[in-house]
Amino acid sequence: MNDQIRMQISAFVDGELPDAEADLLLRRMGQDAELRRKAGEYLEIGRAMRGESSVRGIERLQERVAAGINDETLADEEVPAELPKGRSMRPLVGVAVAASVALIAIFGLQVTPGVDSTNGIADDTSVAEVAEDPGYTVPQQVDEQLRQFYLSHGASSTEQGANGMNARLVTLRVSEEPLPEEDADETEPDEAEAADEAADETATQP
Amino acid sequence: MHFSRIAPLLWPGVIAGQLACSAAALAERVDPNELLNRMGAAVQTTSYEGTVIRIQDGKAEALKVVHTVTDGVIREKVVVQEGNGLEIIRNGNEVHCILPDRKSVLVEEWDDQSTLFSTLPSSEVRFGSEYDVSIVREERVAGRKTILVAIRPHDIYRYGHRIWLDTETSFPLQTQLIGEDGAAIEQVKFADISLNKEIHASALAPSINTENFRWLNQPSRHVKRDIETRWESTNLPPGFRAISTHGEIMPGSEEVVTHILYGDGLANISVFVAEQDQASAAGPSRVGGSNSYSASIDGYRITAVGEVPAVTVEQIATTMSLR
Repeated sequence: MNDQIRMQISAFVDGELPDAEADLLLRRMGQDAELRRKAGEYLEIGRAMRGESSVRGIERLQERVAAGINDETLADEEVPAELPKGRSMRPLVGVAVAASVALIAIFGLQVTPGVDSTNGIADDTSVAEVAEDPGYTVPQQVDEQLRQFYLSHGASSTEQGANGMNARLVTLRVSEEPLPEEDADETEPDEAEAADEAADETATQP
Repeated sequence: MHFSRIAPLLWPGVIAGQLACSAAALAERVDPNELLNRMGAAVQTTSYEGTVIRIQDGKAEALKVVHTVTDGVIREKVVVQEGNGLEIIRNGNEVHCILPDRKSVLVEEWDDQSTLFSTLPSSEVRFGSEYDVSIVREERVAGRKTILVAIRPHDIYRYGHRIWLDTETSFPLQTQLIGEDGAAIEQVKFADISLNKEIHASALAPSINTENFRWLNQPSRHVKRDIETRWESTNLPPGFRAISTHGEIMPGSEEVVTHILYGDGLANISVFVAEQDQASAAGPSRVGGSNSYSASIDGYRITAVGEVPAVTVEQIATTMSLR
């Protein structure tokens, strides 16, 4: 990345880049993760210069959450269910909390505690430490209710046609609860899958 | 941050004069409210495909987006261009979240019409005395000609908005949520976009083979019904009024939570009244441009949530009482 690009990014985040150049830069950013990272850094610098608070270590936290997901294993227990395209579904036992945080981080539901965001977070903050440290509570981890409130509010606002004119990215919710047992619970999972496969094969017979 | 970019500072008057002329001329021939009405129709009916850059909390991210509306049914595909390559595919009310690195698909039923860009209330109910709406200037976004519309609040209780509307279709190609200091809190901008071109069904299909993925189902979302409540704010910020009141049962709970929705015609604030839980956190929190504030009142947990400044949700949450 040369100095000219850096200057363009700097001007862009300051809102001072001419439109034609901004469009070109945005196109490049769409293809280049390094440019996007640099823009993010400059935005962070701008926030610091304006005296705005931010949550130090949040990037590290998200990395650790992602790592936590990779370390987890999905529950082996299968719950037979009527599924699209004959596929089997499983409950989210075990992975639910971590997956929830990851999805939320990606899609803008990263809750930042207002009180503690000004206190900063140690760079080596880990998921486990977050959960135990009363000085920095992540509501979506320790307070499922608050997360549900955000989601309910988003849905209600959309029904009113307001509130969502900015980014209304899909806000998938992952619950901690396992799936409810359904009618097919007398059937062994393997048998159910075998039945599904047989049905699929039958459907493709001439 | 500005370093060697001093030259533009030498001629701001010239630019301001040009913009003033442009804005005045534009305002004479374009009604901003009419533009926003057209935008409301455009986001409900426009099919598009493009790259979205989203900037929030100092982070910029790119998303590939495909969106179609056929006979009122929304089909949408959002692919994160970095990280684990997460894909979200919506077909009507059924949403699939594909996690390639986990070889999993999460499935959820939705009962609302949330999309990447939502509409605005009709002009009959928005912009009372709380906001000014005006045409600012013409600009180009994603290679297309747009008109910038500014919505400015009169006080500290609500955010402002800037919307760049495509002059041809009135589709919003860029939106900004503006804080009290005039800085953008959130920004979404198309880097490139194709509007109302034929989108093949394959463009909405998963980019990866999910044949051997695990499929994980989600319980249905909130159950709610209309109720009456004795809870009300004794010090609502000016312009807000109660729009609806529901009793809601959240997933994983049997408790009925009272949900009061307040609005000023543009911004909405939800107030949730729940039985006090010892594990509940109190105080403020933030999600992008949305703020919340939780307080304990008379043995209940009162939580206000909305895309408004922190002061607004705190004032409402802390002034709720039983009449």
